[in-house]
Amino acid sequence: MAELDDIIHQPLRLKIMAALNALHPTQGLDFPRLKKLTGATDGNLGAHIETLAKAGYVSVEKAFVGKKPQTTVTATAAGRGAFARHVATLREIIATAEGK
Amino acid sequence: MINSQEASAALMEIESLSRLVRQSVFYRHASTMLILWGVATFIGYLLSFFAPAAAPVIWAVVIVAGVICAIIIGALNKKREGVSTFDARATAAFIAFVAFGCLWSIVFGNMAPRQIAAFWTTYFMLPYVMTGFWFGRVFVVIGMSVIALTLLGYFLAGPWFTLWMAVVNGGGLLLGGLWMRRS
Repeated sequence: MAELDDIIHQPLRLKIMAALNALHPTQGLDFPRLKKLTGATDGNLGAHIETLAKAGYVSVEKAFVGKKPQTTVTATAAGRGAFARHVATLREIIATAEGK
Repeated sequence: MINSQEASAALMEIESLSRLVRQSVFYRHASTMLILWGVATFIGYLLSFFAPAAAPVIWAVVIVAGVICAIIIGALNKKREGVSTFDARATAAFIAFVAFGCLWSIVFGNMAPRQIAAFWTTYFMLPYVMTGFWFGRVFVVIGMSVIALTLLGYFLAGPWFTLWMAVVNGGGLLLGGLWMRRS
């Protein structure tokens, strides 16, 4: 059986990747929306996004919308692949337990 | 390695987040359209109240302008997000829906202007209510509220019915759109 991805498996990082993977590959989520969806605090979310970015699973784009800074997080192709494998492994664990 | 209960909980969390995100994206696009058509119907009813004889021309202009704005908004969304929100099947369904309404309100129906206003408003709220069964209860609430207030105005608003519809129909869609944008 394939191993679970340790980077994705952490609960908040799993939520971040699940949210980003529900979007079209070219779409991302801005920081406040991601914070609202995951229920995380600013510092916690920032730290976990950084971990995912270091692994190459997400890209972080900072831009100014008017005078306001906006951070947009998007799942990379590598991140989408890793997430798909992680989900497949979760399903495999359930199937094995059910004796399929 | 985790056990099957933990794996199952993780999958449920993923599914729940995915549903939330899809709903959030749908709300964002739909809210723009609700605001657009809220403003359009508000203007249409307001002008029709002051110039009832010109109502058919007013509504033709309002609808054409609304459709053009909707196309422009769709193109801007595509440019900004790289994703087309145009859906050929949804467009075909919308055309069939409008054609059916025209058939019964213009060809077969012998309706007075007041009845036409009530018919189109309640008819257009029907897909809102049905959409809500799949994409969020807020659509059901908006649709049912506008239908109920339309019927209330139809029977009780007397000569102020057109103005009532500007507030209820236009204002209802506008408020619904703003609420969805905030949520």
